[in-house]
Amino acid sequence: MADLEIRDLTVEADGAEILRGVTLDLDKGKTIALMGPNGSGKSTLAYAIAGHPAYDVTGGTITWQGTELNDLTPDERARLGVFLAMQYPVEVPGVSLTNFLRTAVNAVSDEEVPVREFMTRLRTEMSELGVDESFLQRSVNEGFSGGEKKRFEILQAALLRPQLAVLDETDSGLDVDALKTVAEGVNRLRGPDLGVLIITHYTRILRYIDPDEVHVMFEGRLVASGGPELADELEDKGYENLKAGAAT
Amino acid sequence: MNLDALTEDELTDRSDAAGEPSWLRDHRLAAFKRYLDQGWPNSRADEFWRSTPFDRRFTTDRELVDDASTVTAPRSLTDDLEVEVAQARFVDGVVTDITVPTSLAEQGLVVADLATAAAEHEETVAKALGSLTTGDPDGTGANEDRTIAVNDAAWTAGVFIHVPAELEVDAPIGVHIHATRPGAHLPRVLMVVERHAKATLYLEHTSVDGVDALVDEVVEVVAHDGSEVQLATLQSWANEVQHLSLQKVQAHRDATVRTLSVTTGGATVRLRPECDLVGPGAEVRPLGVYFADDGQWFDLQPYVRHIAPQASSDILFKGALQGRSQTVFRGNIFVARDAVGTSTDENNKSLILTEGAHADSTPFLEIECADITAGHGSATGQIDALHLFYLESRGIPREEALRLIVFGFFREVLTELNLPGLEEAALAAIEARVESADLSAFQVNDAGLKDHVDA
Repeated sequence: MADLEIRDLTVEADGAEILRGVTLDLDKGKTIALMGPNGSGKSTLAYAIAGHPAYDVTGGTITWQGTELNDLTPDERARLGVFLAMQYPVEVPGVSLTNFLRTAVNAVSDEEVPVREFMTRLRTEMSELGVDESFLQRSVNEGFSGGEKKRFEILQAALLRPQLAVLDETDSGLDVDALKTVAEGVNRLRGPDLGVLIITHYTRILRYIDPDEVHVMFEGRLVASGGPELADELEDKGYENLKAGAAT
Repeated sequence: MNLDALTEDELTDRSDAAGEPSWLRDHRLAAFKRYLDQGWPNSRADEFWRSTPFDRRFTTDRELVDDASTVTAPRSLTDDLEVEVAQARFVDGVVTDITVPTSLAEQGLVVADLATAAAEHEETVAKALGSLTTGDPDGTGANEDRTIAVNDAAWTAGVFIHVPAELEVDAPIGVHIHATRPGAHLPRVLMVVERHAKATLYLEHTSVDGVDALVDEVVEVVAHDGSEVQLATLQSWANEVQHLSLQKVQAHRDATVRTLSVTTGGATVRLRPECDLVGPGAEVRPLGVYFADDGQWFDLQPYVRHIAPQASSDILFKGALQGRSQTVFRGNIFVARDAVGTSTDENNKSLILTEGAHADSTPFLEIECADITAGHGSATGQIDALHLFYLESRGIPREEALRLIVFGFFREVLTELNLPGLEEAALAAIEARVESADLSAFQVNDAGLKDHVDA
């Protein structure tokens, strides 16, 4: 049995069916890339795993380490080790970054982390990701640039130490330097205790993070699966072939 | 003496008994005439009272309270600061104690009983007292209603604070008004900050549980040229108090004024945090936070008058409501014909936490001058489901996430000023409200979630 098992998952949002039967396995220690054109349902899968309230699971199951997630609240899922780095991180006015992170770390930890230890960890991770200390005084994502938001998502992953990290278009909107920093951050997190699902439209982040498997989603279904070479193929031929294939 | 039936004889006797100078007695008697000339506010006729029915929310048939003989002094916010502070306390209409650290007294800081100061600092007090409530007919302070005239005539106790020119008082000066008896309390505060001086005043209001008191208060602050003044007021009353308050600052040339009103207590609180910008280059930042719980009615009426040119103002008030509560925000900005180069903005944001709460918001502009920049805005909403999801997705349980969001809503305002002890006190007061709330009844707005949906 895989750590993450997604079986025949169908998901609706705003009354429209987006996922039309997705089956996927991911084990800890592995990294899977999920690719596909815009609107294919990649982010929907990410949100369904995290428990976003605007997405209704209408069929199938998401099971994480033997626990079915379908009916769990987002915070319950997070406390089981599930983390979603969002494509559009949310600005939460007035909630201080430090307070937010500390509350979150304590929520996912078995016991409260002493303030001093927390601050040391926080400062270390911030400097690794090139996040300036002045951010400690700021509100969650408020006024952050696109790149800063993405770095902050990875910073949270580093502090929360999840066992499943879903990275939804973490590469979008990043320049090359920022992409490298973020990819290095992800690579530091990788190890036998973490499963990574990288969702991306482009192959460029896969130059820095080697996936074990690549899956391609189109119109709410997985239409191709393979090794890293599948990503190269998409890089060369684009998604057009795929569309032609799906149409026949 | 009953608030509904002041008499000239009683006012004269009281003034004489307190040893007040004759100018002050005459001042009171002139106010008594204005008191006689008008009735209590009529919410049907007076536009500033339209949103709050005076006769239903305020009871004026009350005896004046001016006896603190059996009371022990309450603990004040300024007692808990780690610095030496000048402070004064009013209990039940009497000034019970005044403390001024020697170092500040030697530099000329005065914190004194107002009746005594009226004789000892006659020139300053006579010029300033009532100058913001009884101005000339064309200027400010005209058209004051009876809630102000009654305090002008019959205030039972007052504090006078004088900050001499160029003195910078770093520690806040505390004035604490405390009620333990039912009846009418009429406190008065007068603060004069001379040119290029700097001072912060904390005005704290508390009462004993179950005491049905009316507090009709007037605070006047004169900020002279180049001075820097901060005025923070905490309305931390127990549930029964009715509070009428004019907290008015006059800002002269290049004065910088920041005010923060924190309102969490009281049955009905009608607050008028006002500022008259009478000197060019003056600047005011009126801030307010409020949290109304079941049964409470808060009417907040910040008012800025741009009399002089090149002055700026920016009002920001944020309030949360739960239970069957009512808030009124009526922000007023007046720009006089000659106030060219004015820059002004006002904003009010309300967070409706539960069904049944009602927020009424009107940011009002009255502009007689064309050459200015002005803005105003008002937003009323609920907790954003997207904010909630983001926090929850990090493992934070829903109730804790709701608390973080509510505190965050206020934090933007509370962290703007550097006021030691005050942010904590305000958050503690808000926390007490949130603690008593049924968080599962909080309304969440799903609209933002839709934008998040992958198209």
